Amino acid sequence: MIEFVLSIVASILILVGAIFAFSAAVGLVRLPDLYTRMHAASKAGSVGSGLMLVAVAVYSQDLGIATRALAGVVFFLLTAPISAHLLAKAAHSVGYRLDKVSVYDDLQEQIDRDKPASDDE
Amino acid sequence: MNTAIMNLLLAVVWVAVTGSLTVVNFAFGFVLAMVGLWLVREQVGTVGYLSRTWRLLILALLFLYELAMSAYSVAKLVLSPRMDLKPGIFAYPLRLEGDFEITLLANLITLTPGTLSVDVSDDCKTLYVHAIDCSDPEAARRDIAEGFERRIMEAFC
Amino acid sequence: MDMPTRILLWADAASMVLICIAFVLTVYRIVRGPTLPDRVLGLDVLVSIAIGFMALFAIKTGYALYIDIAIALGLVGFLATVAFARFILVKGAQASAVQDVVEEGDTPLGMTPRTAGGRHE
Repeated sequence: MIEFVLSIVASILILVGAIFAFSAAVGLVRLPDLYTRMHAASKAGSVGSGLMLVAVAVYSQDLGIATRALAGVVFFLLTAPISAHLLAKAAHSVGYRLDKVSVYDDLQEQIDRDKPASDDE
Repeated sequence: MNTAIMNLLLAVVWVAVTGSLTVVNFAFGFVLAMVGLWLVREQVGTVGYLSRTWRLLILALLFLYELAMSAYSVAKLVLSPRMDLKPGIFAYPLRLEGDFEITLLANLITLTPGTLSVDVSDDCKTLYVHAIDCSDPEAARRDIAEGFERRIMEAFC
Repeated sequence: MDMPTRILLWADAASMVLICIAFVLTVYRIVRGPTLPDRVLGLDVLVSIAIGFMALFAIKTGYALYIDIAIALGLVGFLATVAFARFILVKGAQASAVQDVVEEGDTPLGMTPRTAGGRHE
């Protein structure tokens, strides 16, 4: 009985995880600029692979494997925002601008205010 | 912090006394030690310990919930046939102080629906957040202030 | 083969199909670009999809060793993204410095008078 339930739970987890990973890839292709793509990558991507690792932890029924898989999940959830943040910061400070559909850019206004004689022309 | 060590120590004592070193028994000992510390909270001065632990737990649960919602909303947005995007970067005035708290808030913002922290100003007063739907930056600011920032303040200050 | 195992293997196969499509889409974004940060983000997503793929493989074959490999890959991928972000920052700063020099004096790109003289000495 417990085997049955665990198998079903693991099946649901890997299917949902795969859908999230798939939607991260679709978002990477469809979204218009780097910063919006980063949303898809850092959220859907990390949740997708995280869910699949949780599925391994559930299915294995082995404490050693389960703790390793869960440690992996925690590690990915900690590092995904950091790498997204670093990449966004680097790209913005070097001067990759937001896409034309964007409506708002406080950071750019701040940079323009800091050095009014910048080479915008 | 001292209370946490005492709690751990009591759990170890429980394992030693019962003589079975399993994770379940250790967890049971930990809970038992927690109950014991709660019983003597007035005498040894551990009043705030349990409630702070509880608030940390609430913060972790809120984080997991928001993470699930954000992944769901991104997936829904991306898989819908017509994407309705109004992205932009807005400035968020920080009330939190200290590097650890700001780092925690920035990471939590990144993993919540539609927002991604991009940069912190040099004086650590302003956080720049990229939002996928930036049509109403005031509402987004209010969400952060009343959600995560308040809870981080409760848990750590 | 009993029922729950069959369901699990079916879910595993379906997830693998989704993951493979996700691989192709991500590679498309890496090849297409158009900017360096986009490609770095694509590699980041590729790593997280590969981690999910390894989790699926661990369930399919029953080898728990794949979890350790997935964690190691996650570590390497995180460090690679951080290194790439640093690289973008440094390269962008150099590029804008070269641009300034080019705007001031009429030397061709990357051939500032000082470096040209240094090489000949």
